[in-house]
Amino acid sequence: MGETNTKTESDFLLEIEDLHMYFGKVRALQGINLKIHKGEIHSVIGPNGAGKTVMMNCINGLYSPQKGTITYEGRKINRLRPYQRAALGMARTFQKVEVFGGLTVLDNIRLGRHLHYKSGILSGSIYKGKTSKEEIEHRGFIEEQIIDLLEIQHIRHKPVGMLPYGLQKRVELARALALEPKLLILDEPLAGLNLEEVEDMARFILDINEEERWKVTCLLVEHDMGVVMDLSDHVFVLNFGNLIIDGTPAEVQNHPEVIKAYLGEEDLYATRR
Amino acid sequence: MSTSWLPCGTYHQNYAEDQSLWQTKFIKGKMILLFAILFIGIPLWADNYWMSILNTIGYTILGALGVQLLIGFCGQVTLGHAAFIAVGAYTSTLLILEVPWPQALMDFGIAYPVSIVIAAITAGVVSVIFGLPSARVKGFYLILTTMAAQFIIVDFIITQYVSQIGGRGQAFSIPPEAIKVGPFTIDSDTKVYFMMLIIVILSVTIVVNLLRSRVGRAWVAIRDNDISADVMGINVIKYKLLAFFVAGFIGGLAGAFWISNLAAISPEHFPWFWSLWLVGVILIGGVGSIHGTIFGSIFMVVVMELLQLGVMPLADIYPKLLMDFLFIKEAAFGLAICAFMIFEPNGLAYRWWQLKNYFNLWPFSY
Repeated sequence: MGETNTKTESDFLLEIEDLHMYFGKVRALQGINLKIHKGEIHSVIGPNGAGKTVMMNCINGLYSPQKGTITYEGRKINRLRPYQRAALGMARTFQKVEVFGGLTVLDNIRLGRHLHYKSGILSGSIYKGKTSKEEIEHRGFIEEQIIDLLEIQHIRHKPVGMLPYGLQKRVELARALALEPKLLILDEPLAGLNLEEVEDMARFILDINEEERWKVTCLLVEHDMGVVMDLSDHVFVLNFGNLIIDGTPAEVQNHPEVIKAYLGEEDLYATRR
Repeated sequence: MSTSWLPCGTYHQNYAEDQSLWQTKFIKGKMILLFAILFIGIPLWADNYWMSILNTIGYTILGALGVQLLIGFCGQVTLGHAAFIAVGAYTSTLLILEVPWPQALMDFGIAYPVSIVIAAITAGVVSVIFGLPSARVKGFYLILTTMAAQFIIVDFIITQYVSQIGGRGQAFSIPPEAIKVGPFTIDSDTKVYFMMLIIVILSVTIVVNLLRSRVGRAWVAIRDNDISADVMGINVIKYKLLAFFVAGFIGGLAGAFWISNLAAISPEHFPWFWSLWLVGVILIGGVGSIHGTIFGSIFMVVVMELLQLGVMPLADIYPKLLMDFLFIKEAAFGLAICAFMIFEPNGLAYRWWQLKNYFNLWPFSY
């Protein structure tokens, strides 16, 4: 923790203070406080029902918490709708893939880039000129930056609904990346993938985080402990809506509270490897 | 369904080619041939009877295009589209009849085209008003709120109040010389046909272009998954209302165009059944497909015409058929929808796609 204390206020991309979220009598989040540092990979772990996805939805704007503040780049964003938060540079993927199955991979990625397109209803209906120029320009970006990075050249014209699950996850990541986000929220990016796909995905997450071109701050919810501990700079542990501990992977691994809450008496490395 | 295969040896060198609408010389030639047939072949060959059928098809396409946009591309189920067509028709008629146009504008045939544009915009705005509930409700509930449009606009406002304007009685008769576009007085089926052709091509082009640009993609995103559309930065409510606007706009165009084909308009021209009919058209043609809208319209109009040809001779033997024809028509409509739902839920457009792909490979199956 010593290292994180030296950070200045501007190093925080997102701050959550005293976040409460209730669904009727169910207290999904009870006073979460956490800070997300620019340019680092953060993981949220915790047993099922701990409130991980609820927290993501609160950050993202899909749920509006009853109490607490969410500050993004020094600006309070509690009342912003999800699309407004996306405009601030927040992208996310979902636990169950929520791609647009009927559309091609390219169209999915183009949709992710929606905010960067400018053409409106008039120029769009004429198409010639402004819109067609813009389409070609962004096509170049999508092909060269995103499709190339995520290695999905061979499927660019295929409808996403027909692709295997692993590739769908990758398309979803591509779509989120097309937004050129500052904060990328990945809700279980590795769930349901085989070992090879997990390795690919982990590599992509590292690429996105470390490459000079992207430098995206990542916040991921994950159950695969091996990957979490290897990738993350910072780990948050949730249990029953409470933040038990936040710290570096090493700190978390040895924390008795975590072992008790999350892993029972078993070894921490309950990974598939 | 959105993908189709290109012939062997077609390689695109740049993005512009890859995302162009007509990608090969063959397709370009085919489309030019189609336009030649539409603009030159059919007018030379067709008599008034066929022209009137083609005009009906055009009107159905225009109406169904708006419904297709809302249901097929934006996922907002609507059952009140006839109301917006009525708004277009009445706005255009009233503008022609009630506004004291300078004689010069009437002579040069500017009044009617201007009234079409104003009618389309008015219908779009009215459509947005009745689309407002879509911000809150989805699915079945939205069907009911759009049905309300039908009952409020046609059955109440138009029948009770608009029809009283000018003291003409229920039906507004439209003097033939008032319908004038430029130097042409639209007084024959052939002229209506040309006008129909231009408006249909224009509307289809608008919708196709929108669907391959930012706005249309946002609509499809809302249809497929509105939550993830929201997360990607699409203002869902804005784009839903935009879809209602464009659908209403095209509906208004349809209505304003259709008065050129009618001697008089009355609220009975825009019954609720017409809204339902348009939904049937896109179900049969294929939901979420522009081709489907066109095929569905052709299918419905032609089948109904054939039905008439088939049933009418029998009326000599059993005269009651003549009286019951309306119900036979409705029964056939119901039967057609049932049959399509069971045997080809993807509609005629899917069959067309299959046929095209079959002939792409023909005579080899690999």
